[in-house]
Amino acid sequence: MDFLLSVVSGLNSASNAVGGLVFFWIARVPGELSITIISAIIGVLLLILFKYTSNQKAIGRVRDEINAELLAIKLFKDSLRVTFVSQARLFWGSLKLLAYSLIPMLIMIVPVSLVLAQLGLWYQARAFRIGEPITVKLQLNRSFDDLTALELEPAPGFETVVGPVRVFSKKEVYWKLRALAGGEHRLVFRVGDTAYEKRVAVGASLMRLSRKRPSSQFLDALLHPLETPLPPASTVRAIELFYPSRDSKICGTNYWIIYFFVVSMVFAFVFKPILKVRI
Amino acid sequence: MKRIGRREFIKGTTGAAAALAASFALKPSPVRAAKATGSRPRKVIVIGFDGMDPKLCDALMASGAMPNLDALRRRNGYRRLGTSDPPQSPVAWANFINGAGPGSHGIFDFIHRDPEKQALPFFAAATTVPAQGSIEWGDYRIALDFWPFNHKPERTILTRQGTPFWHYLDKAKIESTFYDLPSNYPPSPSEYGYHRCLSGMGTPDLLGTYGTYQLFTEDGPEQTVSKGGGDQSRIVFNGNTSGRLSLQGPKHTFLKEPKPVQIDFVVNRDCDARAAVIEIQNQALVLKEGEWSPWIKLVYALSMPSVLPQVEVAGICRFYLQEVAPNFRLYVTPINIDPSDPAVQITEPFGFASEISRKLGLFYTTGFQEDHKALSHGVFSDDEFVRQATSVLRERERLLDYALREYDDGLLFFYFSSTDLQSHMLWWESDRRHPTRSLAEAKKYFGHIKTLYRRMDAIVGRLLKRYGDKAHILVMSDHGFANFERQFSLNSWLRDNGYLGPAEASSIMSDVEWSESRAFGLGINGVYLNLKGRERFGVVEPGEERNRLLDELAAKLEAVRDADGRRVIEKVHRSDKEYKGPATRFAPDLIVGYARDFRASWKTCLGSITDRVLLNNDSAWSADHCVDSSLVPGVLFSNRPIAAADPRLIDLAPSILAHYNLKIPGTMSGRNIFKT
Repeated sequence: MDFLLSVVSGLNSASNAVGGLVFFWIARVPGELSITIISAIIGVLLLILFKYTSNQKAIGRVRDEINAELLAIKLFKDSLRVTFVSQARLFWGSLKLLAYSLIPMLIMIVPVSLVLAQLGLWYQARAFRIGEPITVKLQLNRSFDDLTALELEPAPGFETVVGPVRVFSKKEVYWKLRALAGGEHRLVFRVGDTAYEKRVAVGASLMRLSRKRPSSQFLDALLHPLETPLPPASTVRAIELFYPSRDSKICGTNYWIIYFFVVSMVFAFVFKPILKVRI
Repeated sequence: MKRIGRREFIKGTTGAAAALAASFALKPSPVRAAKATGSRPRKVIVIGFDGMDPKLCDALMASGAMPNLDALRRRNGYRRLGTSDPPQSPVAWANFINGAGPGSHGIFDFIHRDPEKQALPFFAAATTVPAQGSIEWGDYRIALDFWPFNHKPERTILTRQGTPFWHYLDKAKIESTFYDLPSNYPPSPSEYGYHRCLSGMGTPDLLGTYGTYQLFTEDGPEQTVSKGGGDQSRIVFNGNTSGRLSLQGPKHTFLKEPKPVQIDFVVNRDCDARAAVIEIQNQALVLKEGEWSPWIKLVYALSMPSVLPQVEVAGICRFYLQEVAPNFRLYVTPINIDPSDPAVQITEPFGFASEISRKLGLFYTTGFQEDHKALSHGVFSDDEFVRQATSVLRERERLLDYALREYDDGLLFFYFSSTDLQSHMLWWESDRRHPTRSLAEAKKYFGHIKTLYRRMDAIVGRLLKRYGDKAHILVMSDHGFANFERQFSLNSWLRDNGYLGPAEASSIMSDVEWSESRAFGLGINGVYLNLKGRERFGVVEPGEERNRLLDELAAKLEAVRDADGRRVIEKVHRSDKEYKGPATRFAPDLIVGYARDFRASWKTCLGSITDRVLLNNDSAWSADHCVDSSLVPGVLFSNRPIAAADPRLIDLAPSILAHYNLKIPGTMSGRNIFKT
């Protein structure tokens, strides 16, 4: 597990660096435009990747066989025997196509996951507005009895409205803050002598947001790539911010990913004949 | 991608249309004809302050506390505005809408009775029609409203009759937009697409009631207790820190035996921090004692047979953490219909609600927004009610700002409930005993009403500054206000005077002997004869006996005096002389116009009979307007001089039509009160 976490952390660092360079312009254009452009480009890039990671000759041969069987069904529709045999061959052909797609699909999973994780940072939620309440949750690895002191250091861009509020049953601590200034901020929590940091984004434009400073668990680190996972032995397990949902049927919370897949597929199909790719 | 509404489309294409019209010298279209109103501005803005009282306005204007409205008064733009008979809000606003009296729209009270079912009460403004046709599937009964089934699902119908005045504007292609319009739920449709409306008073919450708050307390009842307008339950903390609760939602009407759906949530309290964390549907709310949450979106899931997708109903609510310890108290507002994703139509067109919400966020959608029930039930203190009501007003002011930003032409109507519902709970203009407060407290909270009026004056001031004479601005109220000190039990009086029997009867709903009953009271101001041929068990002969009885009852009721000699009833009106029009089926026979300080008892409204005829009002609802219409006129302010000496509510619609050079239809009994 530690090995997997190291791999994910390494990949996250790389994709954060690349993502920061490649997607910096998202903040400067409307979300609907940026997600459309990115989906289109990625659709075409994935098509190219498919072309060079798949056995195009074999796929082409199976496609031709499938077309032949379809023609046979059309021509000999009065012959039950031909129809049934062709149906069986069609089924077999589809299975072979699936098998030929398996390797490119497996190869594509890694970059697609990293890209989706990077895009999620931009589109899955929106930044806090100035004056808006900010809910922060600190998950602990230890019970409150074992804690010496726990505090949120005063930060110039924030005021504390409520907190700390302890949830004893879950070993969690909550604060409600209010942002006083826009921009990228850092909250610093101090437990005993150790400080724990969490990024906070405040502003009206599209910003790269990290909803959670993840725990040392593999999946947590994969889903929240922007910040370094907290070590397993630390007092604080994870720090979470409840960013508001983004309201948009195109680039809003949960909608952006559907839109991404639809647009990338449309562009992949459009470019399929141009790039001479057989799927 | 931004959705483009019809208005935005029209705005965007106006330039091209104008160029085309100029090029081809088109015949005058209805739009252009309507524009030809001489020097008058095309914009008309109507601000409705429900229940704004002329006596208080006069006093505040005289003291210089309402300079903006006083400026209109000095320009001959102020009159007392004749209200409806009876002066109840649904009746009054329907008068405004039709430009005619209750005989045209058929709304006579909050509550009507069904004569065929002998005094069975129902809400006057809207009615729910049960589903017609359905298929049964296990525990479910589902209406399929598509071919070949064509079932008709359960639906709510607006019972207001007649033609609303905006129909004539709509037809003439003049845009009209109404925010929070009372007596218009469900919203009546726009035939030509130039009318938009957000329904106001009468709009239910997600539970289908006129607003049901939920209260969770440590000392609450073990089983949920429903009082009218509120449900109260107990919270039990595990280890003094965490408690699991359920938020009641709408009834699952797809079940054969409908039952409410619920959302489970967890409350975690930290007694040292005097705060709590509420975890509900992946949201975490951190509240300190005495703090309100913002609006929270909720999704109630309605289970369906396995082959059908689950149905989800969206609602919104706010939490108010009243106390953390020793007696934890958590108040939840009525679950409002989510304007960003309305479960039922609350606007015309349907998408208008989500259009507002996209730009403004979430807001109250129930008709009654100030939670007067919470104050009446002792859930809110006076100060807590004031805070809640003030937050409603702040929200409405933001909605008005939005409405003005979006407004560019035609008629804009905006309604404020604050002057009505806050007055019901906080008004007290005498030195007599207040139902629930000391005299000093009563004065303090009446002072709050004066502050509220000043705030309303400031709103008008901003409007005048923004538009000056570029818009015709009307500020109106549907009625005024009076103290509600004493309750008159109408059915008890009828029983004591031999009109209702037997002597030991407790309610017209249960143990009245109709064969010995000649009249009964229902609603706030209505008296009905038990008329043969009309009521199911009628005994009074139509014609001479009916006439004689009506006059006799009117004379006797007007003669009723309180123990201290005060007149209880100012005037009793015969509806056959008062109401004209085609919609009088549910009209009462007599309208009881109470004297100031008096009103029908709470129990009279639903037909109950008490031992005593006159009782003290002991409710926090300490002021009312359901007295004689002559005693509680509304107000009318205008930035154009008002020509008529005695304008009435029914005159506003014809005046607005006249402003746009539209013909006043024969169905309207009002007239233009401005100089043409």
